[in-house]
Amino acid sequence: MPPKTARAIIEYFRGVTEDPHAYARSLQQKGQRVAGYMCTHVPEEVLYAAGIVPVRIITAHTPQAISRSYIHETYCSFSHDCAYQGLEHKYDYLDLVVTASSCIHMSEAFNVWVRFAGFQTKSYLIPYPHIMQTKPARGFMVESFAEFKQFIESFAGRAITDADLEAAIGVYNRNRRLLKQLWDLLKLERPPISGPDLATVTLAAQVMDKAECNRLLEQLVHKLAGKQGRAPAGVRVMATGGACDHTGVLDLIERLSYPATLVFVDSCTAARYFWFEVPEGRPDKLDAIAEGYLSRIPCPAKDVVPGTGEKERFRFVQQFIEEYRPDAVVCLYQRFCSPQPMDVVALKPILEKLGIPSTDLELDTTIPLAQFGTQLEALLEITQRMAPGG
Amino acid sequence: MYQLKVWGAFKDYQKNRYRDYLFAPGGLRVTGSTWSVLSPLKGLGEDVYILGGEPHSASAAGTLPEEGRLDLAAAESAGLGFHSCSYLKLFVGEIVRDRIAITDGTNKEGYVRPDLVWTTHLCTQHSKWYQEVSRRLGGVPMYAIDMIGGGNAEKDAKIVKYVSDQLDEGIRWLERVTGREFSDERFARAARNEIKVLVLWGNICALNMHAPAPLDERRLIALFPPAMVDRTTDECVRLYESLLAEVKQMVAANESVVPEQRFRVVYFGLAHTYGHPETSRILRDAGAEIVASIYTFGTTGNFKGFTGKTWSWQPIDPAWVDGLDLSTRRKTIEALAKIVLGWPTWQGVRSYWAIEEMAKAMVAEYKADGLLLAPTRSCETDFRNGYIAMQRIFRDSIPTAEYDTDQVDVRKMDLPGSKRKTELFVQLMEARQRRGQG
Repeated sequence: MPPKTARAIIEYFRGVTEDPHAYARSLQQKGQRVAGYMCTHVPEEVLYAAGIVPVRIITAHTPQAISRSYIHETYCSFSHDCAYQGLEHKYDYLDLVVTASSCIHMSEAFNVWVRFAGFQTKSYLIPYPHIMQTKPARGFMVESFAEFKQFIESFAGRAITDADLEAAIGVYNRNRRLLKQLWDLLKLERPPISGPDLATVTLAAQVMDKAECNRLLEQLVHKLAGKQGRAPAGVRVMATGGACDHTGVLDLIERLSYPATLVFVDSCTAARYFWFEVPEGRPDKLDAIAEGYLSRIPCPAKDVVPGTGEKERFRFVQQFIEEYRPDAVVCLYQRFCSPQPMDVVALKPILEKLGIPSTDLELDTTIPLAQFGTQLEALLEITQRMAPGG
Repeated sequence: MYQLKVWGAFKDYQKNRYRDYLFAPGGLRVTGSTWSVLSPLKGLGEDVYILGGEPHSASAAGTLPEEGRLDLAAAESAGLGFHSCSYLKLFVGEIVRDRIAITDGTNKEGYVRPDLVWTTHLCTQHSKWYQEVSRRLGGVPMYAIDMIGGGNAEKDAKIVKYVSDQLDEGIRWLERVTGREFSDERFARAARNEIKVLVLWGNICALNMHAPAPLDERRLIALFPPAMVDRTTDECVRLYESLLAEVKQMVAANESVVPEQRFRVVYFGLAHTYGHPETSRILRDAGAEIVASIYTFGTTGNFKGFTGKTWSWQPIDPAWVDGLDLSTRRKTIEALAKIVLGWPTWQGVRSYWAIEEMAKAMVAEYKADGLLLAPTRSCETDFRNGYIAMQRIFRDSIPTAEYDTDQVDVRKMDLPGSKRKTELFVQLMEARQRRGQG
């Protein structure tokens, strides 16, 4: 029975993020194969075309002492938490785990799964460019995806046809468009959905079978159409940075002593996940997938425009600032993350020039949320004082 | 105790390359990771002066440690994170402070702006480093090559093509951005030199399989900078040929720079400028010498490498380099891509099994009595879980010890704790020897 109201749909999505294992297992009980993936650079369409549901590995947000015996403490807590999920055998039910070569921290989390969590014989690492903007990157990705496709065909015991890939591309693009439609609502004067709820829906989409997810998203879009929510209260806040699957951090922004509204989240667990499309109807499907993935908002670990050294992501950040009109920006990244803070140091002068105050939230499972609350409230105070008449 | 005859020439070469960057009139100044293919730069002319990021930061901190600390502090005050790479921060700190220090003790006011950045992207901070340099200096043109290395990468045709295509594109960019004509002849000569130096260094390191090992880690650290700073010149090749000849003579005569060698130690880690002399002294007092290390061998040395999944630290015949077909730009580029992708340090950055295989081979081929692990807190490439795994791998065979270090940031090293661990490591080797296992 599909949920009746927009709130019920959102709560269903929230339930998926709170217990992704129950959701994934329910797919298996229906006879689906399920593959975990650790980085959003994995071309999910290839898995989906083979009848395998890709499920993003998300974390439990708990301190993970056990993982310190496998990964050094100077790796980010997101990678530790992912490694911990494997070591604690939370994902043993997965038929496969896949990642695309991404940052070194997450590569190590993947290695821990492969070596110590029982995934040696059911894992695949997709070689993937570390710079998205080089001219040869596309050709390299096509070759790499072809090898991946071959592996998946052998794993699934069936050929993946062009028609399968085209259908998967269509389902995934539909998902991206629906998510984008929802995030567009946050530009409205009185959005019918909140930023934290949308971040939760987006996270759930990364765990769900896209066909089912699309049906629910369509209902949600339909139910929210033409509706007006409460007017955004207080300071409009945009978050930008790295992986943050702890929805509590985003919820916190709207639960402070000062009024604030989360208007956008630029991260790989939110907008960067879906803010692109794969071209449809192309004769070479893998090339189309490569083109699509290259058009993504670049991960800071892979963002260097040859010739200028420019960070392409900043163009998107500025676009989001223009469209979502934040009064303040929260730079969100995992403690010990290497690339994100290097972006923040370059982003801050841009924000200052735009007159937008900002703060850094350095995420770590050992830091209580209350501490972030104090920091965020300070940001809101500063923003209010800077506002005309403030 | 043997005194190396080539020592002064090596020091002069390093010093003169840095002085050229600072003071040479005219020419083209280039900075970037020295973990890059350097010879394409020489296709632009002989007057290209290179400031390699890693060796510059390491040597600046070693020569003027107080200045290095001020550089780190300046970078952090300017917004760079505490956990970021300390080489990066020292380098950027000099720009923030608008001064530059080199190995002859020069501490020059006024940072010398590079004309361009030619670099590598391997760890996730590599490009970030030079993006920040470029930004702070008002937008220096920058080209980064994605070195998607790791575990047999040089034998993967798709990776070799990917890196080669980027180099090809990069050469065209060099022409465009400098307005200079690219000489394939100069490029091929520089490339042969570059490859030759890497192979020669591998040969020199491999002579340490002999007992007594002719060279110790302190000399190895001091002898590989010319290859890091600029390995593309005829002079650099001559230096390493002369060193190889001298070390061969040492082996023939059973000579060593440290003849007293009770224990042979293999070392995995970077050179930690601050703590290294202290821990080395503890080893030396006990007659233990580091005879092989991933850092000194692997950063600018090439070896036989992987056959399948088995690594060999045996050297490559230098004559092989003379026979390389570098008759076209593409052939030269591919030869360079393969040799660089074969660097030992890169094998392990993104491949846990590769670093472990290299450790197993190094312990076996260099007949190690102990394995010392000193991962670097601010270097994500040097903190692979391979280091943790190595303690499991060698637990029942040879003593291992691990302590945290940092390349140039004294705040991140527990020196008393590291010294104590080194003492215990020595005692473990002694105990093993007493049991007749060593």
